Amino acid sequence: MNDTILIVDDDPEIVRAIAITLEREGYRCLRAYNGMEALDHALDPAVRLILIDVMMPRLDGLSALIRIREKRNLPIIVLSAKSEDTDKILGLSMGADDYITKPYNPQELVARVRSQLRRYTSLGDIHAEDRGSVIVNGRLTYDTDSHILRADGDAVKLTPTETKIVDLLMRNPGRIFPAEEIYRRVWNEDAFSCENTVMVHIRRIREKVELNPKEPDYIKVVWGIGYKMEQHG
Amino acid sequence: MDTKWNNTAKAALPGETAEAPYTGSPRKRQVKAVAAFLAFFFGLSLVLGSLGAALGRWAWQRGSGDITVADWQETESFRQEVSSYLREFLELGAGEDLDWYNDWYGGSVTAEREVILSDWGWEVSDTPIATSEPANQYEKAKADAKYQDDTNVLYCIRRQPTVSDGSAWYKNVENGQVLRLYSTLPEGYNFLLVFENGQVSIRKDGAELDVYGDGIYTEDSDWFVPGYDNFPAGDNVNSVAVYMAFRETPIQYYKTDYGVQTSRMYWVYRNFQENREFWLTQAALLGAGVLLLAVWFLLRRERRLADGKIASWTIHVWTELRFLAVTVPLCALLPRLGSMAYELWYEILYEGLFSVYMLSYLGRALAASLENTGALLCLWWAVWLIRNDHKYNPKSERRSLWRHVSLQLPKYSFQKRMTWRNRIAALFMALLALACLFLVMSMGFSGYDSLFWMLILPVCLVAAAVLFVLRKNAALARDIGLLADQVEAIRAGDLSTPLDLPADGDLRQTAEALNDIQAGLNRALEERTRSERMKVELISNVSHDLKTPLTSILSYAELLRQEPLEGAAADYARIIDEKAQRLKAMVQDVFEVSKAASGQLPVQPERLDFAKLLRQTLADLEDPIHESGLSFKVDLPEGPVMVVADGKCLYRVFQNLITNALQYALPGSRVYLTLKTGKDRAEASLRNTSRDELPEGMDFTARFVRGDESRTDGGSGLGLSIAKSFTEACGGDFRVETVADLFTAIVTLPLA
Repeated sequence: MNDTILIVDDDPEIVRAIAITLEREGYRCLRAYNGMEALDHALDPAVRLILIDVMMPRLDGLSALIRIREKRNLPIIVLSAKSEDTDKILGLSMGADDYITKPYNPQELVARVRSQLRRYTSLGDIHAEDRGSVIVNGRLTYDTDSHILRADGDAVKLTPTETKIVDLLMRNPGRIFPAEEIYRRVWNEDAFSCENTVMVHIRRIREKVELNPKEPDYIKVVWGIGYKMEQHG
Repeated sequence: MDTKWNNTAKAALPGETAEAPYTGSPRKRQVKAVAAFLAFFFGLSLVLGSLGAALGRWAWQRGSGDITVADWQETESFRQEVSSYLREFLELGAGEDLDWYNDWYGGSVTAEREVILSDWGWEVSDTPIATSEPANQYEKAKADAKYQDDTNVLYCIRRQPTVSDGSAWYKNVENGQVLRLYSTLPEGYNFLLVFENGQVSIRKDGAELDVYGDGIYTEDSDWFVPGYDNFPAGDNVNSVAVYMAFRETPIQYYKTDYGVQTSRMYWVYRNFQENREFWLTQAALLGAGVLLLAVWFLLRRERRLADGKIASWTIHVWTELRFLAVTVPLCALLPRLGSMAYELWYEILYEGLFSVYMLSYLGRALAASLENTGALLCLWWAVWLIRNDHKYNPKSERRSLWRHVSLQLPKYSFQKRMTWRNRIAALFMALLALACLFLVMSMGFSGYDSLFWMLILPVCLVAAAVLFVLRKNAALARDIGLLADQVEAIRAGDLSTPLDLPADGDLRQTAEALNDIQAGLNRALEERTRSERMKVELISNVSHDLKTPLTSILSYAELLRQEPLEGAAADYARIIDEKAQRLKAMVQDVFEVSKAASGQLPVQPERLDFAKLLRQTLADLEDPIHESGLSFKVDLPEGPVMVVADGKCLYRVFQNLITNALQYALPGSRVYLTLKTGKDRAEASLRNTSRDELPEGMDFTARFVRGDESRTDGGSGLGLSIAKSFTEACGGDFRVETVADLFTAIVTLPLA
């Protein structure tokens, strides 16, 4: 392992805390305390991932992000106290690969870092395979022939029912399925007060797939309507 | 089969559906309907016209009223004319005026007559006219000259007893003898009156007429001729014999030395004929009308279709035109009434306001106005059309020029409207002044009369004054218009342009007051905008500033817990971590509730199933519900309950409510979640029994309020506040009701 991660935040204590957490996971950490410093370190070819704050003196995180993107194509995770949806969308559209809000959950942070690194390093593999039967959606891949779901390249262990649900959702990203439809298509039975059953399965799949099951990125509830698989780039 | 006609009839007459359904081709029906209406129209017109004309004629008492006799010689007017001929001839014969009228109405019929001697009266001898001296002959010829050439009346006047010699004073026949006996009358003459010895005898068509009856003259007597017991001829005419023959059918003209004249008798005949023709015509018209009305009566069912059709045309007619259609014929009828008013006035003067004469005059006046049959029919049909229109068309669909104009008016600016009003007022003023001028001039006053100037000058002065006021008003109207425009501009959001009116304007002060209000509004708005912006920035900044140290605390608390700590230290680390977690939740909640309260919460409304949302929420929170040991009694409708709301927002509401219930409900108790749909609203309620006693009169939705005041539990005290703010952001209502320990939260949303 020993990937190098660049941590950028104007609060040294936070940088230190993140560094400790990541170093315990076996990563090497570089530290920067504003956007300009971040630019200096980002050109270091050893750096494989950048965690960057938004509100910083001298050069803010998003501006630094754009400049880094001009030079390097590596995973960048934005770490910000701004938790609005609009902030997240702005960050992602500027070229960030992920967005973590402060105060962060250390486990989630580690999971997201790992996920990004796995995708970054194994991206070539997926594309090399390039089989028609494989559906790629963000960090998830699903082989419609072998019915295997992979998250960050790791196969996820699913029960037959869960596999059927995943099959349905992965094949139709973005489409909203009412619980009744999922039930009919997966269980092949008439749907009658099936909301609970479907929700239980959805929740289990989430726990196996999502980095933070409480705030899922992929399998989402559309309240009052149904469930859907979020489409990721 | 079902045609448009059919529909209109049914729609217009909902109360008459009991009629048997009509069978027949629509085409035939239409023809019948048209025929029925035409019959109705012409029938009623004829009846009304003939009745009106008859009533009018009766009221004016034109022509002889006697229409029962076919022979003109049996009419009252003929008898009157004959009587006056006799009197005139007797006067010629007697050589003096005979004042029978005075005799009769003076009360003493037998009293001595007033004798007025004419210059030639008694000098006249028995000499016949033809043989008189030239000078006298001229005189004599002149005396009966006006009767001479009228062959409708043959006469021979002479003094008795010189009957036998055949000489006469006055005659217009060659041989006076032919007039003595009916049998010797010339061809074409059928009426012979002989006055001999103070007695009148009449032979008509060879038969002797009874002239005197019982011999007493009364007003009802047929013949106003002398010879009655109470109306003897008198000495001066007793010796005069008059023979008159009347032509059966009078000719119109006769030649005199002065030209062609129309015969008196012809007028009597003519009036009789004309009168008779009139009544016969009216009777014929009335009969035809009644016949047509009968046709209409047979086809009346079809006519309703025509009525409906006509109503569908008349709906487009403006109310003002209808008004005109009624008033113009009415005005045309009124002059007849007015011409009788003079007579009426004297009746009132002499007989008092309420008398039999009054009534009869009023009746006659009314009847007289009906003679203008054209106006009468116009009036009738105008009223009928309006009634018909009101019967078939709803009031709301009536059109009026006034309403039309009123609707158009707001399109024009206030100034324009006022200007036009002023112009119209000025125009009327000018017309009034001109009318005064004409009136004064028509009264015969000219510029040379001082009275002319006395009348005209004040009028001119008043007109000038009014014009001056109108001019001032025009300026005022302009100012008011500017003021109105300014108010409109302020409402539209222009808070920077002040209104500048002329310094001497009446509304200057008002304009300045408005400018002050505008400036104040502008200031207030600027302040509010600034404070709103500051508030949002504050929330955002405080949130950020709180989160940054919190991130450090949480990170190090987590790291600390991972350190191998001993005894109390590990416990302290756990407490720090827990409290930091709670602080994190609170910061999150405060941030959200502040945003919602300042209207900054982004909502994305969409159509969703309220019941499904509640099921999903329950499923989502299944684990904590299960762990709480509370039992949930859920009553949701089977079918979808569609509302428009932001799903995430609404989920947060119920997540908060259920979490709230899990936290504060009595352990082991039941929680009831129900969803009911009303007419246009859906109402979800969550009821639970509180673990602690609920304080009375507490606003649970206020921020940082909890069931217990100690605040040592895990809640931020913002759950219900968030639920309320979020519900309201979704367009719903949120309220809390407490009864003893029963806590109920109610969320209502409008149905989509």
